Amino acid sequence: MAQDEKDPVATWPARENLKVLNHDLVRVDARAKVTGAARYTHDVRVPGMAYARLLLAPLPALKIKKLDLAPALKIPGVLGAVALETDRTRWLGEPIAAVAATTPERAEDGLRAILLEYEREPWAIDEAQATAPNAPKVRSNAPKVSTDGDQASAERACEGAAAVIEATYTVPVQHHVCLETHGVVVDYKGGDEATVWCSTQSTFGFTPDAAKELGLKASRVTGLVEYMGGGFGAKFGLGLEGQAACKLSKEIKRPVHLMMTRRDEFLAAGNRTGGKMRIKLAASQDGTLVGMVADRRRFGGIGNGSMAKFPYIYAVENAYSETLSVPMNLDSNRAMRAPGHPQAGFGMESALDELAYKLGVDPLEMRKRNLKDKVYHRQLERVAREIGWYEHPHRDKPGDPKAEKCIGIGFGVAVWGGGGGGGTECEVRIERDGSVSAAVGTQDLGTGSRTYVAAITAEELGLRLEDVTAHIGSTRLPSATGSGGSTTTGSLAPAVKVAAFNAARAFAARLAPVFGVDAARVQFAGGEVRDTQGAKPALSWKQACAMLPAEGLSARGEWTKDANKRLAASGIHGAQAARVEVDTQTGRVRVLDMIAMQDCGLPLNRLAVVSQVNGGMVQALSYALHEERNVDAALGVMLNSTMEGYKIAGSLEMPRMVTIIDDEDERGVIGVAEATCIPGHSAIANAVFNACGARVRDLPLTPDKVLFALGKVV
Amino acid sequence: MRTLSLKVNGDTVQAAAPSHWTLLEVLRYKLGLTGSKQGCDKGDCGACTVLVDGRPVLACLTLAGAVEEREVTTIEGLMPLHVKSGGDGPDPVQAAFDRCGALQCGFCQPGMMLSARALLNKNPCPTRAEIREALSGNLCRCTGYTQIFEAVELAVAESIGVAPAPRSWEAQRMDPSEAQAAAKRAAAHLAERRKQEGRE
Ligand code: FES
Ligand code: FES
Repeated sequence: MAQDEKDPVATWPARENLKVLNHDLVRVDARAKVTGAARYTHDVRVPGMAYARLLLAPLPALKIKKLDLAPALKIPGVLGAVALETDRTRWLGEPIAAVAATTPERAEDGLRAILLEYEREPWAIDEAQATAPNAPKVRSNAPKVSTDGDQASAERACEGAAAVIEATYTVPVQHHVCLETHGVVVDYKGGDEATVWCSTQSTFGFTPDAAKELGLKASRVTGLVEYMGGGFGAKFGLGLEGQAACKLSKEIKRPVHLMMTRRDEFLAAGNRTGGKMRIKLAASQDGTLVGMVADRRRFGGIGNGSMAKFPYIYAVENAYSETLSVPMNLDSNRAMRAPGHPQAGFGMESALDELAYKLGVDPLEMRKRNLKDKVYHRQLERVAREIGWYEHPHRDKPGDPKAEKCIGIGFGVAVWGGGGGGGTECEVRIERDGSVSAAVGTQDLGTGSRTYVAAITAEELGLRLEDVTAHIGSTRLPSATGSGGSTTTGSLAPAVKVAAFNAARAFAARLAPVFGVDAARVQFAGGEVRDTQGAKPALSWKQACAMLPAEGLSARGEWTKDANKRLAASGIHGAQAARVEVDTQTGRVRVLDMIAMQDCGLPLNRLAVVSQVNGGMVQALSYALHEERNVDAALGVMLNSTMEGYKIAGSLEMPRMVTIIDDEDERGVIGVAEATCIPGHSAIANAVFNACGARVRDLPLTPDKVLFALGKVV
Repeated sequence: MRTLSLKVNGDTVQAAAPSHWTLLEVLRYKLGLTGSKQGCDKGDCGACTVLVDGRPVLACLTLAGAVEEREVTTIEGLMPLHVKSGGDGPDPVQAAFDRCGALQCGFCQPGMMLSARALLNKNPCPTRAEIREALSGNLCRCTGYTQIFEAVELAVAESIGVAPAPRSWEAQRMDPSEAQAAAKRAAAHLAERRKQEGRE
């Protein structure tokens, strides 16, 4: 503990003094997860509980003529039904009604019995329909074009440049595909209290809305998120499904379990914005980017969509971009891991790569030339070395497509904030029997927050990880912010650290007289309490705790700007490289290696960071090669609303993956999740070009597109 | 509705359920065994994988009535089964998943671990390719699979009593030639063992 003797403040110890943090930690809840004991919302069972299902709009735009729930109520086992929309629906899959029954199957029978009469209204669910001259009005508030930069000077810069490329890049709508679908369990039986479990990224976010829906005081409703099966940005708030469950529960005065089916999830639980970027990019002879003009469209369904600003990461002397949302009668986009970044990254990285080859400049050198921040240079060089770039036979031109199997390498970079904010508080308790707990209502999406809550506390008190119990996932515990934008670590870690630090100080003050020294000399380390100058023999932790009164000792800590300055930061980088093999006969792309170098300040649990980075890389690989929502614009249906039709990468597609943590302990903690899924697909697309000269500008890179780019199919 | 008699995790249990119910429905909605996850309910994700007579099956595609009289093992039964057969604590697969950080949200893991257990039952020293193949029906959205493969390899190495190859994250911290040598040693041990088993 580096402390100012007079007014000590919480700081992270130097790396060599860290005993728990910055190590490979086994998660504190791993045992519960591997034995099946971990209870997810889907697994909650309450006596008398009914199971509910949603009736979703079967077409993209409907005028509802009649909605009769009575026939559903006649189905044996059906306990209740509620209407959610009785006038018109504006997107495919918009919930219309919900049914609760004794089993999920009976609830589905109930849905089928509902009498729904409607008229189709004109719809637009692809770009052609949405931009046709007679396109239907999807939303009352038509989006406006937003612009960035000065058009005239950007155009001028492009005109006079040594090399210019102009191309259109498109990205599909991607789905989150959390393994646990969205859903809630509402335990309400009438009366003035309720408990609600939710598969969510924000314990405190959904609970007030659930209370409102139930007509109860927020203070009488407990929100619980014990375990949750993945979110990636899609799970904030109560959602329409949560509202439906509350309505049903209120109506039938029984607990209601409503988990969306996989099909519901594809249709009505959010997605990543698709889009189109027409880019003109210009460079001088040495590869310096001098001009960029871009025209961008965001496809966020009924929502606005998101796309990070241009120029993305790389510096361009004169840049101008226009961005317009094109609304469609489809489910709204939601935040998805690094919202807007993978899309913008693909446009930027692809255009830059094209320009590099056009100029005959090594694409790695071209990247470095236009990256001001030197951190990227060291990261790119490291991943390049690791993947074998410097020995690669063709770096500034693609390989020969006449070969049956072509090998190529490509790169991409990432940026993210990952800093925290206020609203998180933690309580650390030391009991007389020596046990310790840290309590904060936050949620663990799988990132390992439960583990680092315990780990930070253990570190501060000189204990082992297993000596501390973390209590999270409940609105009965001190407040915490939602987990979005990789802000959890930056918000939570300082609060826990300060709470543990305050607990240590308070304990030291009590023990000071025992040692007959000043509290500042009382130190907790290695499961012992000692005087730093060794005036008296050390006490074991248990002996020291036995001196506490029956109520033990507790202390609180919260995120403050001041604590943040000392303990956390924001702003991370990352570079990734991919090595691929392209089969020029079939157009099939196999990713052989992916290497990531990622900074995240002080890594709290190295094993969890590696897992985050690997997971991010695979989501990008999957986005590069497999994922895409398919809709039939004429029929007005989604064609691949199953995990069979919507493919995500599996074990057979895994490349060799290497994650290198770019340690920057001195910066304090920073969230890491988002950055990791930004560059991978761009690196893969660029590697495909490097392999055989096939420039695919439209994700995913399916075999037909590769063959087309090779001129093998027309 | 009929009364099913099932053998689940070593216990014989009765459950009254419609005769068209799947094993997953009976486990989750009748027996309270929610460790088997319902990720898609149509055979695409593998989260519901259980063992029937030691072989992996998708519980969401298996009629409960079809497995009467057969031994069903769910994730809840894996540790007790290991203890019963003389082991100490969790099944080596569970322990290795723990230690390799092979999970994030954990929702895919019960199915993943049972697929891995089924593989090791019939092939105690699989190669990386065989591991990938065996887990190819189990989807995970969080982890990127690498640490899962490494966990299975750790379970294998420990069960045959050799040092595992350095895991990807450990290799980073080692001298590259040392890491390579260690990986080679582990591969040689595995090859040797596979030879003994007549697999190579
Ligand atoms: S739930 Fe059985 S395979 Fe997905
Ligand atoms: S750990 Fe979340 S799906 Fe595998």
